[in-house]
Amino acid sequence: MTKFIKNVVAAVFWLFVWQIIALIVHNKVLLAGPIEAFNALIRMAGEAEFWQSVSASYLHIIAGIFIGILLGGLLSVLSYKNELIEMFLSPLVLALKSIPVASIIILILIWVGSDFISTFISALVALPIMYVGMKNGFSSADKKLLEMAHVYRMPPVNQFRFIYLPALFPSLLSAISLAVGMGFKSGIAAEVIGQPLLSMGNGLYRAKIYLDTGDVFAWTFVIILVSWITEKIVMLLLSLVKKGGGIK
Amino acid sequence: MTIDLENICKSYGDLKVLSNFNLEIENDHSYVITGESGKGKTTLIRILLGLEQPDSGKVHLMGDYKYAYLNAGVVFQEDRLCENFSAVQNVVMVNKNNSVKVAEEELKKLLPEDSIYKPVRELSGGMRRRVAIVRACAIPSDMLIMDEPFAGLDAVSRQKAIDYIREKQGRNPLFITAHDAEGFDFCREVKL
Repeated sequence: MTKFIKNVVAAVFWLFVWQIIALIVHNKVLLAGPIEAFNALIRMAGEAEFWQSVSASYLHIIAGIFIGILLGGLLSVLSYKNELIEMFLSPLVLALKSIPVASIIILILIWVGSDFISTFISALVALPIMYVGMKNGFSSADKKLLEMAHVYRMPPVNQFRFIYLPALFPSLLSAISLAVGMGFKSGIAAEVIGQPLLSMGNGLYRAKIYLDTGDVFAWTFVIILVSWITEKIVMLLLSLVKKGGGIK
Repeated sequence: MTIDLENICKSYGDLKVLSNFNLEIENDHSYVITGESGKGKTTLIRILLGLEQPDSGKVHLMGDYKYAYLNAGVVFQEDRLCENFSAVQNVVMVNKNNSVKVAEEELKKLLPEDSIYKPVRELSGGMRRRVAIVRACAIPSDMLIMDEPFAGLDAVSRQKAIDYIREKQGRNPLFITAHDAEGFDFCREVKL
C-alpha cells in the first residue's frame, strides 16, 4: 500500500468516526458532521464575500510572514557579524518568543487598530522563528572552510554562496516551514480577536456568534488548506533554489 | 619579500611544540619543513598565516607589506574544498579574478579532463589533493604554503604536481611540510 493510499484510508476512517459521533450527538449546534461542514463550504464558496475574505486575509498574512522572515534573517546576519548587536537583540527576540500572542494582539489593536492586525502578528511570530533558525544555521557553517576563506580573502558573496548557504539550508527550510504554519495560525487568531472586516478570522468569529459549527469547520478547513498550499509552494521554490545552487 | 620568524615558541598545555624557532624566508627560495607528526609543522604554518599567535616570538612581514596578514596560496593538511561543488568552482570561488576558462586550463594540467566538473566529493583523495594544489597556485599571492601536499599521490602524480608548483612558484618563496626531505632536492630542509 503506497503512502498516499494509507493517508487516504486513515483520513476516510476519521471522517467516518466524526460523522458517527455527530449522528450520536445529534445536535448541529454542538457538533456538525463532515457532511454539514462540506455543505457549508459549498454554500460559502458561492458567495463573493467568502473569496474577498480569503484573498484579503491571505495577502495580509503572507505579507506579514514575508516581512517577519526578511527582518528575522537580516537581524540574524547582523547578530552573527556583531557580538554587541547580538547582546542587545537576543533578549528582545526571547521576549517576542515568550510573550503570549494574545497579549501582543491586544497591544497591536490598541496601538494601530484592526486593519493590519494579521500582518503585524504574522510578522512578529515569523521573526523570532527565522532569527533563531538562521543563527543556528550560521553557527553550523564549517569552521575550517571559513578559515580557508579568510586565508584566501574569498569574496563575501562567494563565502555566503558556497560556505554559508549549504550550512544554512536545513535550518532555513525548517524555520520557513514553521514560520508559514505559525504565521497563518497566529494571523487568523489575531483576526478572530481583532475582527477586521472581510477576513477569514472574522468569518470564523461570526460562525461562532451564530453557533454554526458547520461554518466553523468549513472556515477551519479553508485556513488549513490555504496554509498547506502556501507551505508547499514555498518549499518547492526553496528546493528549486537548492537544486540551482548545487546544494545537497 | 622576506618573512622573519623570530624566536617562535608555542605550547598546548604542557606540550611544547615549538621552542625558539627561527627562520628567514626569502624570495627565490623553497623550504621543506620536516619532522614527525606532532612536531609542530602545521602549528608553524598556522602561525605564519596569522591563524594562531605564538606564545612568544614574532613573525615579521618585512618590507612595505600592504596586507594585514600574509597573502598566500595555501594547501591545508585537510583539503578544505567545498564538497558539493566542482573542482572548477572550487578554484573560481576563492578569487574574483579567477575565470572559469583559466581554472579549466590549470586543472587539466593535473587532473583528467572528465573529473573537473564532478562534485569534488566524488573524486579520489589524490584528485582532491591536486584540486587543492591548483587552487593554491591559481590566486595571485606572495608565497605558496603547503602542508603535506603530496599525501595520497602516487610517484607520477607527485612529480607532475611538483613540476606544476615549481612552474607556478615564480620568484615567490615556497614553504612545504613533509615527514622527510626525500624528493625535495630543490628545497632547503629545516628540521623540527
